Amino acid sequence: MTSIHADIDALKGLREALVRYRHAQREVAGRGEEEIKVVRASLEAKASRWRAQLEQCQAEFGACQERAAQAAADGPAIGDDPVDCSGYARAVEQCGERLEQIRRWQQRIDAEASEFQGIASRFGDLLENDLPRTEEHLLALIRGLEGARRVQAPGA
Amino acid sequence: MVTRPDRDGDQQLRLLDDVWDKASQHWHDGMARQFEGGHWTPLLRESRGYLEALRKLMDMLEAAERDTEG
Repeated sequence: MTSIHADIDALKGLREALVRYRHAQREVAGRGEEEIKVVRASLEAKASRWRAQLEQCQAEFGACQERAAQAAADGPAIGDDPVDCSGYARAVEQCGERLEQIRRWQQRIDAEASEFQGIASRFGDLLENDLPRTEEHLLALIRGLEGARRVQAPGA
Repeated sequence: MVTRPDRDGDQQLRLLDDVWDKASQHWHDGMARQFEGGHWTPLLRESRGYLEALRKLMDMLEAAERDTEG
């Protein structure tokens, strides 16, 4: 490579790097979108499991309360322990808390993802429209320089 | 091992920046300055803004998964 063509070679290298960058960042953006979908689906599946668990805990707590009410109506029986539903009540509370925790994450992610979409859309526009124009611009510069060198070459 | 997309994106930007550094050693006329202001600087700005937002979101997604395990 002669130094007189170093700028042309540098521009060619830059243009090729821009093409690679456009493809690589398009893939990065696609993976980012996919990750959002995966985590949203995962949180929804967890919420669904905890909703089912909450329903079961509520049913068990309700059944315990019925037993306690029945025992109270029947009066104290010798040797019977009083019906204690506090464990079921705690389980209902814990299931509710887990479900609420997941809902809060879902809301935070919805808000963050919504804000992100605007930025991602602008970046997508840069990849699809601006960068190809930049590459074309560089190509025109390269051709211009090559043409000028060819013209200059005989007298150089 | 699968890496996070934001980290791969950062790596790609660093690679491109290296190529620009090399190119600008050989190309520093008026057209180069025009290109830098009109194309290169906006490209860097948009890329960094996007990758920072992606990093923030990926951090949040990881935290959500961790916090809701079990």
